[in-house]
Amino acid sequence: MSVGFIGAGQLAFALARGFTAAGVLAAHKITASSPDTDLPTVSGLRKMGVNFSVSNKDTVKNSDVLFLAVKPPIIPFILEEVGPDIEARHIVVSCAAGVTISSIEKKLSTFCSTPKVIRCMTNTPVIVREGATVYATGTHADVEDGKLLEQLMASVGFCTEVEEDLIDAVTGLSGSGPAYAFTALDALADGGVKMGLPRRLAVRLGAQALLGAAKMLLESEQHPGQLKDNVCSPGGATIHALHFLESGGFRSLLINAVEASCIRTRELQHLADQEKISPAAIKKTLLDKVKLESPSLSVASASKVSLFTNKSKKN
Amino acid sequence: GVAPEAWPRVAMEASELWVGFVGAGRMAGGLVRGLLQAGKVPASNILASAPSDKNLDAWRELGCRTTHCNLEVVHRSTLVFLATKPHILPGVLEEIRPAVGSHHIVVSLVAGVTIQTLQRLLPPWTKVLRIMPNLPCVVQAGAMVFSRGTNAGDEEAALLKSLLSSCGLCEEVPESYIDIHTGLSGSGVAYVYLFAEALAEGAVKMGMPGALASRIAAQTLLGAAKMLLETGEHPAKLRGDVCTPGGTTIYALHQLEKGALRATVMDAVEAATNRACDMAKD
Repeated sequence: MSVGFIGAGQLAFALARGFTAAGVLAAHKITASSPDTDLPTVSGLRKMGVNFSVSNKDTVKNSDVLFLAVKPPIIPFILEEVGPDIEARHIVVSCAAGVTISSIEKKLSTFCSTPKVIRCMTNTPVIVREGATVYATGTHADVEDGKLLEQLMASVGFCTEVEEDLIDAVTGLSGSGPAYAFTALDALADGGVKMGLPRRLAVRLGAQALLGAAKMLLESEQHPGQLKDNVCSPGGATIHALHFLESGGFRSLLINAVEASCIRTRELQHLADQEKISPAAIKKTLLDKVKLESPSLSVASASKVSLFTNKSKKN
Repeated sequence: GVAPEAWPRVAMEASELWVGFVGAGRMAGGLVRGLLQAGKVPASNILASAPSDKNLDAWRELGCRTTHCNLEVVHRSTLVFLATKPHILPGVLEEIRPAVGSHHIVVSLVAGVTIQTLQRLLPPWTKVLRIMPNLPCVVQAGAMVFSRGTNAGDEEAALLKSLLSSCGLCEEVPESYIDIHTGLSGSGVAYVYLFAEALAEGAVKMGMPGALASRIAAQTLLGAAKMLLETGEHPAKLRGDVCTPGGTTIYALHQLEKGALRATVMDAVEAATNRACDMAKD
């Protein structure tokens, strides 16, 4: 089996790194492409032994499982570009937040009558094989196709199938989650430094504390509330600290964060569906490069770009 | 001096126990109702003293004997509950001290008065215990903690526990927990009343009549508490069980978390406990 990545940024790099480290895929079975060769991740991918190309068509030709690893606004351009090369054998996996299966299927239907589409939401810790991934299968993707993806993603962390309408919530929780954790760790380290620890040690200990706690929870049948209680001896240091967290509304801040991320994801999807993303939202250089690769695609000179029309507009 | 003789001599059997109350206020009334409810001590074996008849009428209606003489209570009882107001107690102790013997078991309900103080004001052979009940003892759903003094042994502790379990939860603790119990459960009852009132008010805002809302609020608290006690599950787990994804409960809980309810409740328990400690020092 060979895997391809349209896009050679953080996500492609993280997944390629994870897959090769897990041993499920040899580097030479992976192709990645991007018009932008200046990305730091491009040299990283090359060093790994991944086949790199500036042509997205190369990636499509050389892949069975095709990951769309570009930012959500770029997805429609990519689909227009590689659509003609998509065959029934391909499994198209979109990792783009807020981009629905139906929007992708609609776009590909002009080129391929039964495109296999899977939508997935993963997160950056796939790079160290501790990712959290969910996926939903599209109309023409079979159970085996889903299982194939699941096997791939399970090699780099936790992976499970969900209903598509839960994916935005997953984005809010585990998609964005590592960012919440990095923020917390930065602050915990600050606390350590304030109380006299050297920075490096503080970071190391903070990270290990969260790692250990998460591992305990995953391996325990107990509720996190119970595990918390187990750490809080009466009148001790921990319960005093927790009181501070509660006073600051720690819990509600986290609930707010997950909610905000989920809502924003839905907003972006809604904007995309209504074709309201302006070209200004897309880097000019990127757009030019995409246009170079596929002359049939053109951007309307007016303010709006039509994201999901089947016919490309002529200038 | 020499310990006075007991009159009459009694065994430790609850049914033969002579129980006295010095002070007959609300808390004492709650305990005696519990004792009688449990059927462990006949009302005729119970004697209560108070300066006026105001409180004593209710005791007589229960079938207990009453008096205005504290000394009489001590002479005629083996188990003596001290249930006066804190500022009254020193005077009362001085009054009854000559009659207190080594057969007596003295249990103080008086808030803020330590075992050390009690033992200082009573003869050195006295078996002293200190108990902190809470208001729902009155309806036999109380929470009580007690500690023993120097001369109180396993027998006395077991007797107290067996008598008062009829009033609710009764646990022996180190004396240092008693002020915490005040903050948690003694005063805690008031926090629950406040919460119940607020729940009902929310319902009234949404269109439910007040009386109905209040009854439902109370039943909700009762039911939730009962589930906690009977399942033995962690409250966080029970909370999670009620929260269907994207449902009403999780929306409401988010509001509570935004209001930092947890921290506020912790603050309340802390404030009451600290105040109890401060008051005990006075």
